[in-house]
Amino acid sequence: MGLRETLGRKGMTTSLLSRLQQYRLTLRILLESPSSTVGLAIVLAYFAIAAIDYTYPSLIGVQNAYSLIPDFTNPVPSPPIWPMHPFGTTFPGVDLYQAVMSAIRVDLWYSLLVVVAGALIGTIVGVVAAYTGGYVDDALMRFTDIFLSIPYLPFAIAVAFVLGRALDNISLALVIVWWPLYARYSYGQALSVKENVYIEAAKASGVGSGGIMLRHIIPNVLTPMFVQVSLDLGTVVQVFAALTFVGFASGNPLLPELGTLISNGFQYAVAAPWVVLFPGLAILIFAIGMNLLGDGLRDALDPRGRT
Amino acid sequence: MLLLIPTLIGLTLIVFTISHVGGSQRLVGSYINIHSTVPVAVQEQQLAVRFHLNDPLYVQYFYWLGAFLQGNWGYTKTSIYSGAVLDAITLFFPNTLVLAVLASILTAIIGIPLGVWSSVRKDSLFDQATRVISFAGYSIPLYWLALLLIIAFSTSDVCSCLNIFPISGTVSVSLVSGFNWYINGISYPTHVLVIDSLIHGRPDVFADALMHLVLPVATLTYGVMASVLRVMRSSMQDTLNQDYIRTARAKGLDEKTVINVHARRNALIPVFTLLGYTIAGLLGGVVLVEEVFNYLGIGYWSTQAILNGDIGGIMGATIIFGLSFIFANLAVDIAYGFLDPRIRH
Repeated sequence: MGLRETLGRKGMTTSLLSRLQQYRLTLRILLESPSSTVGLAIVLAYFAIAAIDYTYPSLIGVQNAYSLIPDFTNPVPSPPIWPMHPFGTTFPGVDLYQAVMSAIRVDLWYSLLVVVAGALIGTIVGVVAAYTGGYVDDALMRFTDIFLSIPYLPFAIAVAFVLGRALDNISLALVIVWWPLYARYSYGQALSVKENVYIEAAKASGVGSGGIMLRHIIPNVLTPMFVQVSLDLGTVVQVFAALTFVGFASGNPLLPELGTLISNGFQYAVAAPWVVLFPGLAILIFAIGMNLLGDGLRDALDPRGRT
Repeated sequence: MLLLIPTLIGLTLIVFTISHVGGSQRLVGSYINIHSTVPVAVQEQQLAVRFHLNDPLYVQYFYWLGAFLQGNWGYTKTSIYSGAVLDAITLFFPNTLVLAVLASILTAIIGIPLGVWSSVRKDSLFDQATRVISFAGYSIPLYWLALLLIIAFSTSDVCSCLNIFPISGTVSVSLVSGFNWYINGISYPTHVLVIDSLIHGRPDVFADALMHLVLPVATLTYGVMASVLRVMRSSMQDTLNQDYIRTARAKGLDEKTVINVHARRNALIPVFTLLGYTIAGLLGGVVLVEEVFNYLGIGYWSTQAILNGDIGGIMGATIIFGLSFIFANLAVDIAYGFLDPRIRH
């Protein structure tokens, strides 16, 4: 027993070490390309803003990270003035800089929730379908296909409408819409992983189906899933903000959220373009960063691309 | 093809399930006709009998499906239209179709050649520019782009010389007021203003309606084109590295023939595979673009339904979007067979 344990632990440390080395290699390849470096920098900056806004909002000049501070004496948007209102103000007299900073935290949090939950459900469904095969495979994947057969934005609108107009419900709606994509993707990955000799070896040594999926298939599917998640996060931020823009967050107009900010400023967009310019730029830059990083990750993690 | 029927059933199942989250009130709500002389309480009782609301769910589903197949999709009540859902769809869908079809055509005739040229002149300035354009298209929120276009081309904010296009709507209201074929923002008989104006012999209305289409179609096209451009470029590059292209060049064919005859058709296949997703993007984009431009279509109707708490509109829009997507994908599959004869066999 003791021998087996030490062997197991030793195997664990060496595999951990080799994995760490692999991550270092990936990072090095990633940083060799200027575009993915820029992407990584943008994404890190956004996460830093979100973290600071969550812990010490005053560090980035945010007074209240959880609610916009309206000024009903001057509700009409005023143009940017340095250093009072670097992004100007938006309706109703809200400082746009603080609003955008806090909104970045809110949007990032909910979008992360959506992709992580979606990827989790999707991976489980995809791996179970691919590994089990037969009727289970057919049933699960047809089920997935049916969910995929409705365009995601109208579908998310319907689900969010039924669940009620709140941010939690929008995220839940997006998870319901998003998991099938990951199920399809992990299914494809798991099908190829399943054919490996080490799966046969695990079977021969008496590991159960659950063990094989958990210990041997899922870890090998995770890396491509991670790339997919990073490619999707930029899109999910956009779709999330689109839903709130369309009117799903109208319950709380003082919530710092990028889509709500654009929607609040909508009627002033012509007279005061900055009210839509800055929140939109915040989404655009994040999406660009995430896409650059995702592309870079895909190249870096694809062994065929390595020299 | 074979997947069509289960998918259609699945769509109705999803919509039915959505209407039953937290009880059957939503289903009943979407079938209440406020224009009927029958009191709401009586209608509710009739609906409970009609949909067998006291029976198990699967029984209710079949009664609902029966009503649905007979063309009874319930009632909608929004600020832009109040009445039967199916009527609302026949009024609003043509407008949406115009946007979607124009954007698809433009995507095909701009996106595909751009992708081909950009891969033929790989790493040239033209290629770099195309890549940046396509990349930005991926990342830009469509409704935000629409707002920027409005600020640039419908106001004098940037330059008064750029103030060319109307801000929103489908037509200048003053131009069509008093027409007996244009009532409450809806034109008759086809409900598509650019066609109806020609039927009624009004080229000025036609020109005005066309001007109103420019910015929405441009926004939608740009949003959809990005992915087509990207896939076309990479697929063309793969194709140009194939042996049969080298053979074609070696036997002395000029570059034009090699690209137009030998490479492009084969490079189109991956683009076609992507078309299903493109259509999904198009239908989603339509919602946002119509919302920003106040363009009377299914998307605008569905956002109005959200704001008015109108379940009939949401259900109707979901069904029609789902159906469009399913049938568009079917059309793509069939076209695929023509493009790649191997698939037919």
